[in-house]
Amino acid sequence: MIVSIARKEFSEIVRDGRFKWTAGMMALLLLTAMAAGCQKHSAYMDMQRLSQDRTNAQWLNQGNKNPHAGAHYGNYAFKPAGPLAFFDNGINHYAGNALFMEAHKQNFALGRPATDQSSIGRFGDLSGAMILQLLMPLLIIFLGFTAFAGERESGTLRQALSMGVSNRQLLWGKALGIGAVVALITGLCVAAGGLALSLTGLSMENESLGARVALMALSYSLYAGIFLFLTLAVSAWAKNVRTALMVLVGFWAFAAFLAPKAAVEISKAAHPTPAFGQWMADMRTHQMRGIDGVPPFARFQQESEALFAEYGAESVAELPVYVGALRLQKFEEYDFPVFEQHFGRLRDAYTRQRRLQDRLGIVAPTLPLRSLSMTLAGTDLIRHIQFADAAEAYRREMVATVNNYLGEAAASLNSGYGGGNVLIADEAVFAMVPPFEFAPQGLGKALSEHAGNFVALALWLAAALGLAIGAARRLKVDGD
Amino acid sequence: MLQATKLKKSYGGTEALKGLDMTVEGGDIYCLLGANGAGKTTTISLFLNFIRPDGGTAAVGGLDVAEQPLETKKLLAYIPEQVMLYGNLTALENLRYFSRLGGRDYSQGEYRGFLRRAGLQDGAAGRRVKTYSKGMRQKVGLAVALAKQAKALLLDEPTAGLDPKASNEFSELLLKLKADGAAILMATHDLFRAKETGTRIGIMKEGRLVDELSAGEVSHADLEKIYLQHMHVGGRYA
Repeated sequence: MIVSIARKEFSEIVRDGRFKWTAGMMALLLLTAMAAGCQKHSAYMDMQRLSQDRTNAQWLNQGNKNPHAGAHYGNYAFKPAGPLAFFDNGINHYAGNALFMEAHKQNFALGRPATDQSSIGRFGDLSGAMILQLLMPLLIIFLGFTAFAGERESGTLRQALSMGVSNRQLLWGKALGIGAVVALITGLCVAAGGLALSLTGLSMENESLGARVALMALSYSLYAGIFLFLTLAVSAWAKNVRTALMVLVGFWAFAAFLAPKAAVEISKAAHPTPAFGQWMADMRTHQMRGIDGVPPFARFQQESEALFAEYGAESVAELPVYVGALRLQKFEEYDFPVFEQHFGRLRDAYTRQRRLQDRLGIVAPTLPLRSLSMTLAGTDLIRHIQFADAAEAYRREMVATVNNYLGEAAASLNSGYGGGNVLIADEAVFAMVPPFEFAPQGLGKALSEHAGNFVALALWLAAALGLAIGAARRLKVDGD
Repeated sequence: MLQATKLKKSYGGTEALKGLDMTVEGGDIYCLLGANGAGKTTTISLFLNFIRPDGGTAAVGGLDVAEQPLETKKLLAYIPEQVMLYGNLTALENLRYFSRLGGRDYSQGEYRGFLRRAGLQDGAAGRRVKTYSKGMRQKVGLAVALAKQAKALLLDEPTAGLDPKASNEFSELLLKLKADGAAILMATHDLFRAKETGTRIGIMKEGRLVDELSAGEVSHADLEKIYLQHMHVGGRYA
């Protein structure tokens, strides 16, 4: 029975002239977005690897110099795009993709494609995710707003209900029929995109790609189901098709456009981020003042006795390592808590903003979906922070390696002996620093903060279902 | 088969039906006459559970419609003044869809058979019904009723606007269904058709059944006279 109803809905939709236009447009947009996504993704990944290789080579071939100067020469970390970035580019456009790692400074990632975009870029990146988040609901609304209201207006609802079919069967049948059309259009296009991407030969080992794709499909299916049942609920409830369409398009504009923008503004107002210039100045001042108000030189002086004791030495002359290098390294380490505090402040604000946005998902289903989609694509804030953390850990290791080398190689300088050549490092020394590699945390870890978003989507679906069943139960045969 | 007992329905304070009692047995063609707004369509809608009664009961095959709406609908077939079909589906597809909604399914050949019996020319069955004339749609509606093998038919001015030939064919089919034992309730304005095909005739006015006649015992001229008398203020016995 339900299948018969679904089949009839399907044939009716597919034979409707309007369907060809809507489906055609949707397919065209999706395919374009997927193709563009694939192309951009593979170009980006090529560039990322090329740049990382090149900068690694530059690090090694920077020429013979003081090892600490080598740390000033520095190295770049280039952020891999994320396993499903071709589908959802997340915050990649805004977060920066290259992070300069050098002595004494923890830097921000630079290279934000958004800064190179014209104002049109403000509407968002044309991506599969954007099309599915914004336009798929509209497709569902267009295919479904007449489901009950239209049949009521044309009188076929009288005829159908006189046959002895239950309202609920009618509801399930229509949901299945419309759902099948939507799944067909979107599924085929997304699959085409995935296939195209797999042809580019990108390897994504250790990124639990299958689970990501499955959860992505689940999230978007929940999202589609929400709009599908809301559409059917409104269509069953509305007096006529015009009302149904107006209510649905209104909700769509709210959920897909207004709510996400409003959520960003609200979260910014609730958890403001410091002005960049002030933040930077605060951090630099704090560095010079020292974390506990003791400036680095004074602190080194205070701590030197204990420090020397660690080496079994009572004076500089007895130190087995070059005191200058030791000081450089200590200064470096004094900065760690300062960086952690100031970057932490910033990240706390961002994380609070993100969490608040997730909580606002109860207002519009687009919010939890957007958050989940980014995370599953590996293009979210948490992953960016992981990348920045990995770069910082690498930077500390890199600087420590060359400083410690300097300390050991130039120990003779403590007593005033030894030539300038002990200050010179060559490629073999720089090779002690392994190339940068970003090993993102596993999917489970990435999703650990997202249970609430799944719950929000499930709640939305339950509410939409409840409304649809309620509206179908009270289904009126005639409009007046 | 069809029974209304003290059936009442009001719309926003206006009483559309003021305690209707009527019975249609199998083999009866009961023609309901009456002006627009007399309560004919309301009566049919109540038998279909499209609206809820404010008092009394409508029963089909002994089952209360309000309590067992799906079971009673399975016994019924409904043909409105305008049979509404899905324009982008063919007659066969419409017929198959409605039949399945009613819980029945047949072979393609059997569906064609129902359409043929309903009088639809063979070549039209595979065409989309948006190209159909009103008469052709009514025939598809009739085929739906035939396929449903309903025990009772509810017809709401089914021949209004049909040409005399189509109207006549329609009546012929009703007579066949009657012979097969169906209970038929038909709201109509067509006194002539009521006299010709009906077995019993009820005249409704302002939500009440004001007269019941046996079609065989009244001439066409008398029927018209009685009807018109009722329609005038005070009615036949004033």
